[in-house]
Order: sequence, then C-alpha cells, then structure tokens
Amino acid sequence: MPSSGTPREVLAGLGDLTRKVRAAQRGTWFPLLLLGVLTLGGILVGRFTFKIEAVACPAGEAAVGGCTLVTQGSALYWPLGLALAYAATAFFYIRRSRNRGVGSRVRPYVLTGIVLVALASATALWSLRHGVAQLGEPLDFWGLHLDPASGLTRFLERLAGNAMAVGLPLLVLARVERSRALLLLAVVYLAVELVPLSTGWAGIPFTSPWSALPTFGVPGVLLLLGALGFGLAELSGRRNAS
Amino acid sequence: MTDQPEQHPITGLDDVVHQRVRLGILTVAHQAGRVEFGFLRTALGLTAGNLSQHLSVLEKAGLVEIEKGYEGKRARTWLSLTPAGNRALREEVAQLKRLIHQIEHGSSAPES
Repeated sequence: MPSSGTPREVLAGLGDLTRKVRAAQRGTWFPLLLLGVLTLGGILVGRFTFKIEAVACPAGEAAVGGCTLVTQGSALYWPLGLALAYAATAFFYIRRSRNRGVGSRVRPYVLTGIVLVALASATALWSLRHGVAQLGEPLDFWGLHLDPASGLTRFLERLAGNAMAVGLPLLVLARVERSRALLLLAVVYLAVELVPLSTGWAGIPFTSPWSALPTFGVPGVLLLLGALGFGLAELSGRRNAS
Repeated sequence: MTDQPEQHPITGLDDVVHQRVRLGILTVAHQAGRVEFGFLRTALGLTAGNLSQHLSVLEKAGLVEIEKGYEGKRARTWLSLTPAGNRALREEVAQLKRLIHQIEHGSSAPES
C-alpha cells in the first residue's frame, strides 16, 4: 500500500507495489528448464544421428587412409523442440496468470518463438534441399558464398544456431520480466555459444559419436543451473511473502 | 500584459487518483495488465468491502474496466486500466515527481 506521507514516500510505496507484482508475474525457471533440457537433448540427437563415411579427398589434400566426413544432428529436432518449448511456455504462463490472479506479458515470448521456429524451419528446409557441402567447395548459404573452413563461416553457424534460437528468447525474457539476473545469464549464455568450443579440451575427438557433448553440454548445464537458481529464488521469495 | 503565475504541482493532483488505496489499485493494474480481485486485496491488505468501494469510484470515473466471470464454479472479478486510467496514473506520477522537485529545489521541474 502506498504511504500517505511525503511525495517521495508515496512514489517509493508505488515502486514496492510494482516489484511485488513483477515477482508474482515471473516464472523464469520454467522456460530455462525447458531450454536446458532441449539443449542437453541435442547431445542424444547428435549421438543417434552420428554418421561417419569415407569420402574422396579434395584436390591437393590427399591424406593417408583417405578422408572422412562426419555428420550428425537432425533438421527436425530444433524446429519441433522450439515449437513445443514455446507452446509449453505460453501455456505455463497463462495457467499461472489465472491461478495467481495477475496478468502476464506472454505475447513477446510467443512472437519471438514463432519467428525463431520459422527461421529454424527455413534453415532446416534449406539444408535438406542443398544436402551436405562437399569438402573444398564453397558453401552457398542464402546467396552468400562462404568458405566452410573459414572462421567467419563458423561464427555465422554458431550465431545462426543456438545463440539465436535460445539466446534471443532469453534476452526477450529478461526485457519482459525486467530481470537483471536473467540479462546476465543471457549474456553469459551468448558468450558460451559464440566462443568456439573445440572438442579437444574435453578429450573427445570429433570422430566420436559423443562429440556434441561439450557443444551442448556446457550451455545446457548453464541453463539448468539458471533454472535451479531462479526456482530457488522464487521459492524463497514466496516463503518470505507468506 | 501580465505573466500567468506558475501553477503549483499540487493543483494538478486528481483527488480520485491521489487517494492512496486507489493509487495502489491503479499501480498494480498498470503493471499486471489484468489483475484479479483476490490478488489486489492481498497485495493492498484490504477487506473485500473496502476494495469494492474504491473500485466502484474508479469505475465510475472511467479509469478501470471490471469484468466478472466464472472459472469452473469459482466466481472471479478481473480488472484492467482503461486508456484514461493509464493516462491518469502517468499524470499523477509526473505531478508527484514535480512536487518532489519543487520541495527540493524550490521551483517546478520542466514538463516531462
């Protein structure tokens, strides 16, 4: 209740009320949990779609024993997983809003989700139609002729992958929930996604079926730790309020 | 031609909005977008009767919209701010800030 004291006290009381409503509206742990599980699921998808085949070496790069091409990942996993995650997040916030009696601003999540699912689906369609890039050949990605081995291409791949599909919704979530802690988590997550993580440090060679473990494991665990932290903070806030 | 005396910010405060319970209702409804009667009652620490009286004042002034319905067998009342309610709250907060400026600096702050 705002104080009936000085204007400064009245404004401070309004600020306290606003914070109370925001705390009741937040449900950050749920989307973080979903995104974390989805990301860790990428390790299993990588494991079960792992394919290694002998291919002709590009001119001038003949290797002893020939060249091998490693492919893994599913074009359906992220579009379907993201669609389900956004649908579940929207459902969760709407139910929570009804139960708690306080509206939520779920629309930006849903809109971001729709746009990202559409983008992920378009990329999946594109890669199905164009197939896997041949060794030594430039990669024609939406009209850009990219060298598959260049640092820029690898950065763009990382940017167009989970950095966009998971990092962007986290920024939207931080904005909508006015949460600095979530903004910090989103920035750390984006840094983890955009910094190249080679499999070497984990002792897993790229020819291993588990080579996706460091790529998805580190951000997945970060998201789950975030879900745990926000969940515990929410629990403790509710205990203090009651 | 004489200069108009500068109006004190206190004259810009609307009595309907400035009352502290109603100001609390408007603030919660503004942040929530849509808020249920029970949540408001708990957040503001009011009795149902007291809250109803303040809501009818705000509804008559056209500052809130009240929507009654059922969820299962449970009757629920939701309210949201009208565009006039949003404007009134914005104006009230601006006047309070001007008042603080006046108290601390001895002159009105420029219009924000």
